Amino acid sequence: MRRFLLSTAAVIALTCGTSAHAQTKIELQRFFGACDADYATVTDVSKAVGECGIITSLVNKFEADNPDIDVNVTTVEWPGYDQLNAQMASGAAPDVVSMHYSAISDYQSRGLIDPIDDVLSAQGISPDSFTDAARGGVTKEDKLYGLPFDNWTMLFHVNLNLMKEAGLVNADGTPILPKSVDELIAQGKQFKEKTGKPYLVQILANETAAYARVLYTLLQQQNSNFFADPTKITLNTPEAKNVVELMKKIKDEGLTTTGLDYAASVTAFTNGDGGIAINGTWLIGDFVAQSEKDGTALAKGYTVYPVPQLYPGQDSTYADGHSWVMPHKDRTPEQTEAIGKLFKFLADNDYEWARTGHLPAVKAVFDKPEFKALPHRENIAEIAQTGRSLPGAVQRQFAIQDIIGEEVGAAVNGDKTIDEALGSAESRINDLLANI
Amino acid sequence: MSKDQTTYRPEALTGNRTLLTIAIAFSVVMMAPVAWLVGLSIKDNKELMLGTDSVFRVPYTLVNYVNILYSSQAFGWFFNSLVVAIGQTAGVLILASLAGYAFARLEFPFRRTIFVIVLFGLAVPEQAVIIARHQMFNWFGLHNSYIGLMLPGMSSAFGVFLMTQFFKAIPKEIDEAALLDNASPLRIFWKVLLPLTLPAQATLGIFTFLHAWNDYWWPLISATRKEMFTLTIGIASSQTNFAQSEGLGFLSAQAVFASLPVLIVYVIFQRHIVTAVSGGAVK
Amino acid sequence: MAESYRRSQWSNGLFVLPYLSFFLVLLVFPLFWGVWLSLHKVDLFGPGRFVGFGNYVRVLADPVFLQALRNSVIFVLVSVPSLVALGLFLALALNKTTRTTSFLRGLFFSSSVLSVTIVTLIWRFVFIPGDGLLTVISEQIGIQPVNFLSTSGWSLFSVGVATVWWCLGLPMMLFLAALQQIPTDLYEAAALDNASPWRVLTRVTLPSIARTIMLVTIIQIVMQFQLFGQAQIMTNGGPNGSSRPLVMYIYEVGFMRWDVGKAAAASEFLFLIILVAAMAQYVVSTRKSEASE
Repeated sequence: MRRFLLSTAAVIALTCGTSAHAQTKIELQRFFGACDADYATVTDVSKAVGECGIITSLVNKFEADNPDIDVNVTTVEWPGYDQLNAQMASGAAPDVVSMHYSAISDYQSRGLIDPIDDVLSAQGISPDSFTDAARGGVTKEDKLYGLPFDNWTMLFHVNLNLMKEAGLVNADGTPILPKSVDELIAQGKQFKEKTGKPYLVQILANETAAYARVLYTLLQQQNSNFFADPTKITLNTPEAKNVVELMKKIKDEGLTTTGLDYAASVTAFTNGDGGIAINGTWLIGDFVAQSEKDGTALAKGYTVYPVPQLYPGQDSTYADGHSWVMPHKDRTPEQTEAIGKLFKFLADNDYEWARTGHLPAVKAVFDKPEFKALPHRENIAEIAQTGRSLPGAVQRQFAIQDIIGEEVGAAVNGDKTIDEALGSAESRINDLLANI
Repeated sequence: MSKDQTTYRPEALTGNRTLLTIAIAFSVVMMAPVAWLVGLSIKDNKELMLGTDSVFRVPYTLVNYVNILYSSQAFGWFFNSLVVAIGQTAGVLILASLAGYAFARLEFPFRRTIFVIVLFGLAVPEQAVIIARHQMFNWFGLHNSYIGLMLPGMSSAFGVFLMTQFFKAIPKEIDEAALLDNASPLRIFWKVLLPLTLPAQATLGIFTFLHAWNDYWWPLISATRKEMFTLTIGIASSQTNFAQSEGLGFLSAQAVFASLPVLIVYVIFQRHIVTAVSGGAVK
Repeated sequence: MAESYRRSQWSNGLFVLPYLSFFLVLLVFPLFWGVWLSLHKVDLFGPGRFVGFGNYVRVLADPVFLQALRNSVIFVLVSVPSLVALGLFLALALNKTTRTTSFLRGLFFSSSVLSVTIVTLIWRFVFIPGDGLLTVISEQIGIQPVNFLSTSGWSLFSVGVATVWWCLGLPMMLFLAALQQIPTDLYEAAALDNASPWRVLTRVTLPSIARTIMLVTIIQIVMQFQLFGQAQIMTNGGPNGSSRPLVMYIYEVGFMRWDVGKAAAASEFLFLIILVAAMAQYVVSTRKSEASE
């Protein structure tokens, strides 16, 4: 028996040993969804559509190109930070993790992620090759803490077919979009009257991010400096009140869909249940693909614009971005090199990722003829300038987003008064930040 | 334990026709969501995108189930759940039987005190110690392992309590007869009493297995690597809110597929399970 | 001879030792470690400093905690009576052994063997707006569908429906077992008196299983206070925290806000609540065994 056990152990050790020599294994953990049913074996990236399809086929392609590297992908529920926290606390962090720029400072400030400057320079990637916004998003204390992958904002995704019906299309075929709060309400009412459908398709259920992003955007447009001190938020302001009142009015007047969660809101817009979807850059590729199919609600009738400037202060849109970070852990030189190769591959293929609709993080992509030929990109080019993040030193931005989403949601749904909700959001956030 | 399983009851009392009819109607309501899930699972994802009322119309397809064979990790999750649930159940049965026997039959210093302390453990909910437990498991590097997933359930005082009660219920004459043969406590436990507790083992085993099988919070924070996901966590991870890119049909098929093995086992052993659960109650 | 078998011996304690070590290491120590944590300002990733009862003060002053506590209490107050009443009803209806009743018993218990994530998936597909079964049905019969998962009040209700559906099997089985134990002569006496079915139910059946009802109630209170997975997956506690239970609060504070000390302090409140319920259970069950001995 004992001999049997020993020999089995030896065999196992041998097989493991050889496979370890043959392949360097890296653990990659990401959100962006799971779509193995459609993309598990796709390596032709150009065939993929949407965030999930493109990142899945990118990794497949990388593995096919580098047979000595095995990328073990784990997909987590968006945004996956609670799971990452549990992993880090238990010393089981993956090698590469997708992370929002806005979340990096949480982990960087505690030494939980490693700077990647050396990894990049070993692959000959210069920090200057990234756009300022992208580089700024991942830079903390003069070091790069992640490979920037994109920049994104919320956008107005427009169903032109319905807008035509509502008489909200110019002679040149572009949609008429509001330039002020009053115009927004007026056009929304006109839309509803003519089409019988809600003007806006918003994510208002089981979701906090959308509320927070709209609030940040419209506060920025009023020049409200709500994070003057990165450890303290100020929300008891007339500007914040304006925004929440507007959001509530849109809902009370029936100008928006209600009760849709993220997935349902995407389906609703695809099915033509409303005129304008307020959602992120990442959906452009999906919606364009829909609009190229005959017989769909978006057929030959989709376009997209930045969230319009509704307040006279400044043109601004809340922006964030996705990056790939390396949690602090012991790695073999082979693993570090493999990660470097992966980073190089992802940076080289940033164009493919930009097909989702995201703004590229790599400068050179902007000059590519293929990128310029992508539909609607000229409409939204300005977000590269008007996109603004929260101050980089603000910590726990996802927790803050949850609180804002919950409280603003309560005000919009009429469960709380606007003053109560803003006051409660402010004190909850400040209690959170004071106790880090 | 219920030796008297006769079910003679005067007709007018309970189990009359009206009640039964209502119960049947209720069962239809209970099963409707399951039928809906099965319906979704045999529809094409793209057709569902346009509206789920298409479930009531042809065509139906098995493509989602075929996709599972190719791309779902459900097999691995299922295996993990099985290992953890069986391991934990075996552990609980061994620990609880030994302790239950000693508490019920043997004398040793501080027996009463220790028993009271263990009973007190019944009042400690897992959730209340989970934060501290998570930290402890960090120190010993036990996360993301089968052992790490099995261990917490083995500390449950419920099994010990249950087994103590069962051992107490066995007539003392039985081990006293064995004592005449000069049997040691271990021998009495193993040869004489343990076989008599089989129904109790079944009850405790089923409770423990179901508890381990359905556990959510502990595997959520302990099994954080995909390879170690249990079925519960795996299914949760694939129903992402954001970018719900696996269609409703695929998710449904995965859920049906993942439930089938337990349901089949349940149907086969149903009679035993029912007796076991009721047995636990009557004590 | 029997005397020596029963004589107090250290070696007899060896039978208890394996369990006792698990008990001490995995339950008792974490319990005290949790108290220690709750007295410290400590996050997920590092040692902290002593803050006395600061975390408890912060928990009690946190409106979100109070809301979660209230949600849990409401949830227990609604789901437990539903479980007990439905379980009792089914037990009474199925308290005869025929083919149909055996089948139905099996059916009603079958949901209990499913994982929580399967249960929540099933019920999400029932409740979600747009694609859910209830939306499809309400559109067929032409009424405005309710946004179950995102409307205050309805969201916790929806979690409750899924929970009752999931947990109904056990109370039913326990009641059935208890009904089988009622001595037949009680019914025969009632039959001689020509008592109405209702009278038999209230005078014979229910009093005979009163302790089981009590026991089932307490078991369910303990279980439902620990609600977590259903709420997290179905509603994520929303809208506006109206379906966030106590356990989910602990999870969020610990693993999303990293505030382990505060989470540990909140855990102690959960512990206290369950402790009270468990004590009640102990009292009831000891009374029962005394009566039966």
